[in-house]
Amino acid sequence: MGTIAKIHELLETKQISCEELTKQYLDEINKANGELNAYVLVTDKQALETAKAVDKKIADGEKIGMLEGVPMTLKDNLSTKEIETTCCSKILKGYKPIYDATVWEILKSQNAVLLGKTNMDEFAMGSSCETSCFGGATNPHNTKHCSGGSSGGVASAVGGNIAAYGLGSDTGGSIRQPASFCGIVGLKPTYGTVSRYGLIAYASSLDQIGPITKSVEDASIVYDVISQYDPKDSTSQGKKGPNTFDTLNNDIKGMKIGIPKEYFEGVRDDVKEAIFASLKIFEDMGAQIVHFDLPAVKYALPVYYIIACAEASSNLGRYDGIRYGYKTAHYNGTHDMVCRTRSEGFGEEVKRRILLGTYVLSAGYYDAYYKKAQNLRGTIVSAFNKAFECCDVILAPTVPMTAFEMGHAVSDPIETYLTDICTVPVNIAGLPGVSVPCGFNAKGMPIGMQFIGKKFGEAQILNAAYKYQQAAGENFKDTKWGVKL
Amino acid sequence: MVTREDVENIALLSKLFVPEEELDALTKDMQEIIDFADTINNASVDEECFDNINNLSNVLREDEVVKSYPSEEILKNAPEQAEQHFLVRNRE
Repeated sequence: MGTIAKIHELLETKQISCEELTKQYLDEINKANGELNAYVLVTDKQALETAKAVDKKIADGEKIGMLEGVPMTLKDNLSTKEIETTCCSKILKGYKPIYDATVWEILKSQNAVLLGKTNMDEFAMGSSCETSCFGGATNPHNTKHCSGGSSGGVASAVGGNIAAYGLGSDTGGSIRQPASFCGIVGLKPTYGTVSRYGLIAYASSLDQIGPITKSVEDASIVYDVISQYDPKDSTSQGKKGPNTFDTLNNDIKGMKIGIPKEYFEGVRDDVKEAIFASLKIFEDMGAQIVHFDLPAVKYALPVYYIIACAEASSNLGRYDGIRYGYKTAHYNGTHDMVCRTRSEGFGEEVKRRILLGTYVLSAGYYDAYYKKAQNLRGTIVSAFNKAFECCDVILAPTVPMTAFEMGHAVSDPIETYLTDICTVPVNIAGLPGVSVPCGFNAKGMPIGMQFIGKKFGEAQILNAAYKYQQAAGENFKDTKWGVKL
Repeated sequence: MVTREDVENIALLSKLFVPEEELDALTKDMQEIIDFADTINNASVDEECFDNINNLSNVLREDEVVKSYPSEEILKNAPEQAEQHFLVRNRE
């Protein structure tokens, strides 16, 4: 199924050259992208150059690293030097960063083959990828359905086999939700473990970069490489402890898996059934299932929207038509220029969130909304700390439903916000979470579940997720698209 | 209660123009979102645990000149420039 380990083996044993492999991916992108709309930019020239360099290394008998020569993609909010980075917004069209995001700098130094930049909701604001100025990416399992969002393009590309893996960002579920919708794995690491330098900001206290992959093993491989301390990000801490890869296969006998009641309220039956079926598998492996209440999470969603929009209204103040990006053609004075630039450059959802953020930060409303939300954020953190006194990892749905049809999300903002209900608590508390496929519904659409860990508990959640995949199978279904390896 | 005037005022603070014909629909949307946000007012907060959820502390560095980017590089992305500077607006 084209995992990193498989590709590494093919390259190392010279069963395929990196150039040949890269060309296969580029050909398949050509064939599939008209319908999947996963890529907004294909970087074929650079990809082939890197591939040739890798082939030379292999021909010279040098050893290659695990990620070396593996064709991959980056969400279009990750800065790539000299390569257009737009956040899928009209306001950043044509913007070519003069530096690389730290995560890309790390991967580039390991000769990762960048196939291109992938589609996303504009400035990562959305849950279906459809707020993108390029139109949404579709779901490789059924292109009438959305890919999820905001990292929809990465998930569509990885699920559709036109990238081996990709990096996305997760502010309120933007890695885990599209991974769940597209039937693959998405890891949102602990806040601070992966450098955010070069990630174009949405809500800085919630944003985190992480891998979207075909298997838990792949997620672990990529996470171990990108989780490094970075002095360029003042919130960076790097990973604590050894590589997660070393403990993937540890016995989980005696591990306490917590099931929080509130996470299952309003969740569709097909999703619930798939997750409850997995509990039997854990019990057979000797894990202990602990049911408990976590009432604080019912406030997580409004707290998330207040904090995220407040931070966004500040972060997006930088788009003023002066230093980069779009500038209006006709204006009358500076104020008029800035207002026209922003009104013409931003899409509807981005404007809505800027306005909401400005509202909750404005005089008279600050205490009732922003300050109250920050205090509740503390309450939610305490509730999770307490929960982890009675369990080692938490298991919950990633999304209350499977991928909805294209066009559905756009109609009702509140209803769309509700799809994030299971993913946002992790961002609010700064915890790690990994979404893993756990089956398909009657219509053949993938279902995902997430493991939530303590701060810096990536090794534990990846261990639990890996053991699940070993016992239950990977629940990965090849789609009609992409490279077949 | 979110009024049309509220929306006009925050649009001004946000440096966004809202066309007259969109104002009613946007006011309605904002009211719905604010009603939803209002659910937090039912929650009781036991303690003042304001901010610093992510255990951050200030990161300082020595006050030394470090290498930066040449201005030509930075200006490459400017929509308009003049005499090695960003051009904010043309003179009337």
